[in-house]
Amino acid sequence: MTEVNFVNGELQRMRVVENAGCGIRVLANGCWGFSSTSEMTADSLKESFTEATSAAQVLANSKKNRVKGLADSKMATGHFTLKANGKLSDISIDEKVKIVREAEMAARKHSKIIKTASCTYREILDHKLIVNSDGAEVEICDSKPEFSVVAVARKGVESATAHEGVGITGGWQDLFGTRSHLDFASKAADRAERLLEAKHAKGEKTTIILDPGMVGLLSHEAIGHTVEADFVLSGSVVKNKIGERVASELVTLVDSGSQEMTGNAAGTIMVDDEGVIAGRTAIIENGILKSFLHNRESALIFGTAPTGNARAFQYNDEPLIRMRNTFVEPRSDKLNEMIQETRHGYLVKGARNGQADANGEFMFGAEEAYLIENGELGMLMKGDSISGNAFEVLRSVDMVGDSFQYDIGTGYCGKYQPAKVDGGGPHLRCTAVIGGLQ
Amino acid sequence: MQELVLFAVKQAEAHGADDAEAFAVTLSESEVFLENNDVKQAKSQRMGSIGLRVIVDGSPGFYSVNRLTKDSVRDAAVMAVKIARASPTDKFNSFPRKSKVKLLRGIYDKASESFGAEAAARTASEMLDAAKSRDPRITVDSGSFSSARLIHYLSNSNGLSLSERISSFSWSIMGMAIDSGEVSSFDFQSGGTHFVKRIDVRKTALEFADTVLDSLKPKKIDSFRGEMLLAPSAVNELVEEVIAHSVNSDAVQKKSSAFAGKIGTPVASEILTVEDDATNTDGLGAASFDREGTPHRRNVVIEKGVLKKLLYNTYTAKKDGVRTTGNAGGSSSSPPLVSTTNFIIRAGTSGIDKMISEMKKGIIVSRFSGNVNPINGDFSGVVKGGKLVERGTVVNAVKEVMVAGNIFSALKNLDGISKERKVMLTSILPYLRIGNISFTGG
Repeated sequence: MTEVNFVNGELQRMRVVENAGCGIRVLANGCWGFSSTSEMTADSLKESFTEATSAAQVLANSKKNRVKGLADSKMATGHFTLKANGKLSDISIDEKVKIVREAEMAARKHSKIIKTASCTYREILDHKLIVNSDGAEVEICDSKPEFSVVAVARKGVESATAHEGVGITGGWQDLFGTRSHLDFASKAADRAERLLEAKHAKGEKTTIILDPGMVGLLSHEAIGHTVEADFVLSGSVVKNKIGERVASELVTLVDSGSQEMTGNAAGTIMVDDEGVIAGRTAIIENGILKSFLHNRESALIFGTAPTGNARAFQYNDEPLIRMRNTFVEPRSDKLNEMIQETRHGYLVKGARNGQADANGEFMFGAEEAYLIENGELGMLMKGDSISGNAFEVLRSVDMVGDSFQYDIGTGYCGKYQPAKVDGGGPHLRCTAVIGGLQ
Repeated sequence: MQELVLFAVKQAEAHGADDAEAFAVTLSESEVFLENNDVKQAKSQRMGSIGLRVIVDGSPGFYSVNRLTKDSVRDAAVMAVKIARASPTDKFNSFPRKSKVKLLRGIYDKASESFGAEAAARTASEMLDAAKSRDPRITVDSGSFSSARLIHYLSNSNGLSLSERISSFSWSIMGMAIDSGEVSSFDFQSGGTHFVKRIDVRKTALEFADTVLDSLKPKKIDSFRGEMLLAPSAVNELVEEVIAHSVNSDAVQKKSSAFAGKIGTPVASEILTVEDDATNTDGLGAASFDREGTPHRRNVVIEKGVLKKLLYNTYTAKKDGVRTTGNAGGSSSSPPLVSTTNFIIRAGTSGIDKMISEMKKGIIVSRFSGNVNPINGDFSGVVKGGKLVERGTVVNAVKEVMVAGNIFSALKNLDGISKERKVMLTSILPYLRIGNISFTGG
């Protein structure tokens, strides 16, 4: 992992971290044991194997529901290299420092009102080998770079923050081939400047048009987590709802580990960490709940095929059910028609952090909210939060845009371990609560 | 290991570093996970990692590896020097001088050495059973119990050479209550200690169970402005993050802290006193020295509402011409940052019940789920496990109410701090009551 971060003209952080090791997972007596070591010697691996086995045996005393087995799946074999234009390892550390320094300075020099700027470049290069007793024998080479600029505008005690960034699976050309690092800087600075003048929205339940990033966040946070089979087994709101209508018929929601829609989405993995090919899983198809997200253990419980969602962040992490690229498929509405047909509401843009509960209640931040009155886009308001019940919001969807974009690739999903994920979609029109001041 | 750390410093110097520092950690950990009302998996790891920081002509370089051999440490030294040569010069880069460090008692329990995977599994089961036996409606979605022993090693080219053992036990539990199809608000509770004898998973489990049971049958409410009583978890999510950011000297120097230029001035109600204290062994952030080898001490940052000091590491202190406060933080895989150790809000004088009885109309916030901007203090999000209070009495649980406002204004409107406090890993926090807050009903 390489990371370069400049803040206000100074190097805040630059580091290279090299981690290697081996994680061993065993299923014994219907219990999982996992052990890892950073010492790659035969003796240490043997010790880890013994520890993993005894860990599984220790659980046998207290585990009520033993693992019945793992669903069969064709185990991946061979070498997988994720497509990358311009190998990151070929770009010198000096070049990486240069672009970060330039972009940070460009954001800060954009206008006098920008008092603070920060720019970060981060790359994760992964070289992984997965072998299991069911025949998986895979070597995977993956490169995931990301780049982001944050600008803070300030006047007196008022301040506003704007973010602009991209995170992908790919190489240097994929990251900067079509968009210069300076463009990220000027967009962030310009937005921070405009947000400083913006007023808070009035808190209300109203018509909301979500931008692709917000749709990605909704798909990931508010729906995606509730359909992870481990959460379903714990009693998530969609338990026993396969085959039922859970969303407007305009909604088809997908999680995919392969190059779907557009290339380079940050959550692309090709093969999951149990050796299962990671393809496309339609979670909701035309409003009907079709599938949960599975590893091999949960797939057996639900009597279905694994969906390739078992992911581990590092060698010392055990695979968990995680999302990959989660998105809503586009349809035919134009954004300007969606605005024209809205009497009162908001167009919200710029996905920030989000959280959701297993009962479908969610809340996520938006950087910008544009007031819509009588079909016309009006004033920019401070973003605040959007909240609601995910499925009620999806049932309320009455227009789905025609253009597609991934836009949450700079984020990491945190579920005990980090994971690089992505999400996106077209613009969606729905009903939700926008936070604000009374 | 100490030998390898010294070797790393010498190698860096041999390859062109003017100054060098090596920080290594070895960790041995057993962890047991809960999922879906059952134990899920037992996990163990043995890990070592070394982070090598160098200064070449005033430029910093950093490289970290987890292969602890002389060859890989030598390669890391070469790379760290190479990275420094690509970095800009900054005259404030330096390492602390050798100083006397008195090792803290109460952070290592010898009994941890015999607390193995089996004991971890048993304790995790106890936590699960305690929550489940409270009420059949409780569902434990997930949780974990971890037992860890780690050793920090630190050496630098100023002759500093230190090491310290720390044992820590930490646990968490999260989930909800389900009553005839109705799913309550989620709750998350955690606990931790350095000592085997002080492990109390039952208390954490019961607090979790009671919180989710209390949040069943929530009612919708109309929007209003009123009082907010923050439980320690919500104080952690809302208030701690903003204060910790604002007293961070790095944020102040980067002009992203609202406390810039405010030393000696009131920033909160006079009932608030906040300190950072790594010598308080109740918190899991306790240690004798910081990430750079500076001895830890107690730092009162806000006293009776007045901002007293900022938190520094060697770099930011040199910039401001002051002494480091011993707040260099971070792991062996990153150069030192400025960070809090144990974040502590001093206990108040009122009991929680009395604080509630004094409320006209407001909401008790168990957890906050939302966004907090640590720079300007704006927050906006959803109240989790909220309870409506009217005329001093808890009326009912409330359904997903949104709350928005500004933390800095809220700190000035702070009118109550409980005498009861909760230790949550590296935080020791009371209940806080704040007036004039905006709530939006769904």
